[in-house]
Amino acid sequence: MPEPLTKDLRDRLRSVVGDAWVIADADRLLAFESDGLTAYRRKPLAVVLPRNTDEISRVMGILSQEDVPVVPRGAGTGLSGGALADGDAVIVGTARMTDVLELDPDNRLARVQPGMINADLTTAAEPFGLYYAPDPSSQSACTLGGNVAENSGGPHCLKYGVTARYVTGLTVVTYEGKIIELGGFGREPGGYDLLGLFVGSEGCFGIASEIEVRLLPKPEGVRTLLAIFDRLGDAGSAVTEIMAEGLLPAALEIIDGPTIRAVEASIFAAGFPTDAEAALVIEFDGIEAGLASDVERAVVQCRAAGAREVRIADSAEERLALWRGRKKAFGAMGQIGRDLMVQDGTVPRSKLTEVLGRISEIGVRHDLTIANVFHAGDGNLHPNLIFDRRDSEELARVDLASTEIMAVCVEAGGTITGEHGVGLDKRRYMSLVHSPDELEAMRHIKAVFDPRGRMNPGKVLPDPSDSMGAGA
Amino acid sequence: MAGLLADRLSEAQVVDGVEAERWAVCGQVPQAVVFPQSEEQVAEILSLSSDEGWRCIAGGGGSWLHGGQPPQSVDVVVSTMKINDISAYEPADLFIEAQAGTELEALERRTVECRQWLALDPPGRERGTLGAMVAVGTAGPLQAGFGSPRDQVLGATLVTGDGRVLGLGGRVVKNVAGFDLLKMVTGSWGTLGVITSVTMRLHPVPAVDRSLVFKAPDVAEGAALACRLAQAPLSLAAVELLVPGDGESGAGASSPLVAVRILESVDGADEAERVVTERAGMQPAQRLAGEESAAIFGSVRAMEDGAELVLRLNLLPSRLPDLVEMTSRLSDLYEPTVGWGMRLAAHAHTGVLRVMIAKVTRSDEGLKHATVVLGVLRQSLEAEGGSLVVSQGPPKIVGAVGAWGESGPTAPFAAGIRAAFDPSSILAQGRFPQ
Repeated sequence: MPEPLTKDLRDRLRSVVGDAWVIADADRLLAFESDGLTAYRRKPLAVVLPRNTDEISRVMGILSQEDVPVVPRGAGTGLSGGALADGDAVIVGTARMTDVLELDPDNRLARVQPGMINADLTTAAEPFGLYYAPDPSSQSACTLGGNVAENSGGPHCLKYGVTARYVTGLTVVTYEGKIIELGGFGREPGGYDLLGLFVGSEGCFGIASEIEVRLLPKPEGVRTLLAIFDRLGDAGSAVTEIMAEGLLPAALEIIDGPTIRAVEASIFAAGFPTDAEAALVIEFDGIEAGLASDVERAVVQCRAAGAREVRIADSAEERLALWRGRKKAFGAMGQIGRDLMVQDGTVPRSKLTEVLGRISEIGVRHDLTIANVFHAGDGNLHPNLIFDRRDSEELARVDLASTEIMAVCVEAGGTITGEHGVGLDKRRYMSLVHSPDELEAMRHIKAVFDPRGRMNPGKVLPDPSDSMGAGA
Repeated sequence: MAGLLADRLSEAQVVDGVEAERWAVCGQVPQAVVFPQSEEQVAEILSLSSDEGWRCIAGGGGSWLHGGQPPQSVDVVVSTMKINDISAYEPADLFIEAQAGTELEALERRTVECRQWLALDPPGRERGTLGAMVAVGTAGPLQAGFGSPRDQVLGATLVTGDGRVLGLGGRVVKNVAGFDLLKMVTGSWGTLGVITSVTMRLHPVPAVDRSLVFKAPDVAEGAALACRLAQAPLSLAAVELLVPGDGESGAGASSPLVAVRILESVDGADEAERVVTERAGMQPAQRLAGEESAAIFGSVRAMEDGAELVLRLNLLPSRLPDLVEMTSRLSDLYEPTVGWGMRLAAHAHTGVLRVMIAKVTRSDEGLKHATVVLGVLRQSLEAEGGSLVVSQGPPKIVGAVGAWGESGPTAPFAAGIRAAFDPSSILAQGRFPQ
């Protein structure tokens, strides 16, 4: 058993953030013992909730003096166990840092605190005709700081790209409490792209305490289509054909049969036919006048690939309903099984149909229900393995199947994680995609920012001892 | 040195003496230039150089060797120009993987067959290589619509200073398996290793390529117009302010232009044109379509050709008029009557203003003056959150002013990163902010 938080340390932290914002009692710590991937649970030593960069810096200064490991945490919606802290580590959370610091419509820039909810930024930018493009499915709950840590994606990054493309500057605080500015729009100072390196570093280098992002003008028009298929493979072919046609939809998302049935049985029912094996959501956005011909061409490709029905959302309400079915799929699946293990492999788009077939075989072989909901246009798969974590034998099968799914993705020329991050969950699979030299280079770079190895320890990189034989 | 290298490779792959002169790096002629034919040979050359302590500079076709900060010394230039195969192209997956020495022109010839393209237009000609483009990382006007090289490079193979071969990134757009070392390598000017292959994201060729060219009465109004158009509620491929040099736009004083590039579907392009024209409050002086549209932006890429001094000034995009105004401080750095004097080109969406000067005033006095003027200008830009980069110039000036501004508190990180990739300190020493 790790030592509980000492009174001295608690008092010093309280003197920085205020009494209410140092959480150390067992009951309240329960809320921080897992993230969106519930298979992992760990209770931290304590949680500290600072209000601004200066408080983060002072908190980090105190913790580093005492050599206490630090785990940054946003809303805890991550899906790789990245925000979990062992009993000797303190979580530094951004829940109280939710302000827009600056909104500059002329330069299409916003500077925000890291605890701001992703969707709230778009709400704040809306009066200026602007929005924040990266839209992870959890956007109504996840924080921008978490998005920076994970380099989050979302359905619309097919056309618009991931978080890294939109982050133009960061204020970061290192483990020692040093405050450093990275990047900044309107500046080309030369030097390594430390900003790009920091985005996606999963809290292993430091904490982002302020975030500057680029906003985009809201597209004039949006068209959303739903194509229904009797075979999942046909939906995959439609995706390939739409892209080969030279179209660039804003989003191309597939929901498979088991997921459709889960969604329709839940409060998020979107009116998808429950006997279908795939629903393909296609969205185009841009200049209104140009959308009709794009939609027409996509419809032709869907029908050619065997769609039994193609619906075009006529109103904003219908559009939202279609998206609700997609974005709430994770929530809906919670109702078919107690626990979910969601995988996040990415494969080249043309390999989608083949890889989906192999994932389905893996499910059958291990006697597991696998429901797929994924960013088809990006080749980013989200097979959900449904299980009950109290059943240790079933958990072992989930583990085996997960390993095989990742190996299949890598073999197809893809990777083990497209947007959820490595965290705790996938570190042992890192050697499927990286050589020992590459992992060593990453270790060196981490040590440059965090020489004592106290920032989010035990995440992303496998231990050197098991880097050779991972996957087992 | 040349002999030792030729022993490891073959005589035909090593040049020295007079032949090495064309490979001078900011005026410094290397003792040898090597042309490896494989990634393994690059690794062999670099580990040999690490052992021997030879200072190496990575190059492709050599077009960027005169740019940037002059190195402390150069022993060997390692050119990847003979490593130039297109190794994988999957049109359905919108990516292409090619060896570093592949010319951008060759890449384009290949992708255009499948109605796809690399949506990047960095300064320099199409003969520039893919590896150099990623190593330098500079974007052109299309950054407005498509992002810079860092946003479009999916993967790369890097041979580190001590000869380790690292695969970075991959072939898919969404990839968060580990720290993003690829971002750090993009734009690192050969200080972390020699890039031997690159995987780029491609885009479908749009149905319509149209450029609208507006004529402004003077530079200040041109800058204001460019800002206004960049703020149009549309996603435009590029908005570029162009101020030609003396006599370049016909007789007498130069007339500033604002070129807007629209890449859209047929109906979308007409609507974008309507919105842009309305916002401009005037009809375009020229309306170019297809190859002509591509050609005018091609000429923007070539604007640095023949310039002796190239600066990149940057402030927030809304400050473009101020930035343009500041260039008046540069008026006595050149002889307005020699060549075309000074040209300006600004990316209105990013606020980057390129200043190209044909001939810098030659006297010792003139060089000293240039150093002072640029130093003061950099200071005032940095004080306002901006920057000044000397992207190429006479080595005396660049050496004195420094190509880059202060890297400040991130300097210790940079040193640690270099030590991890180039433990013997043989790569591009002095070429990058320390």
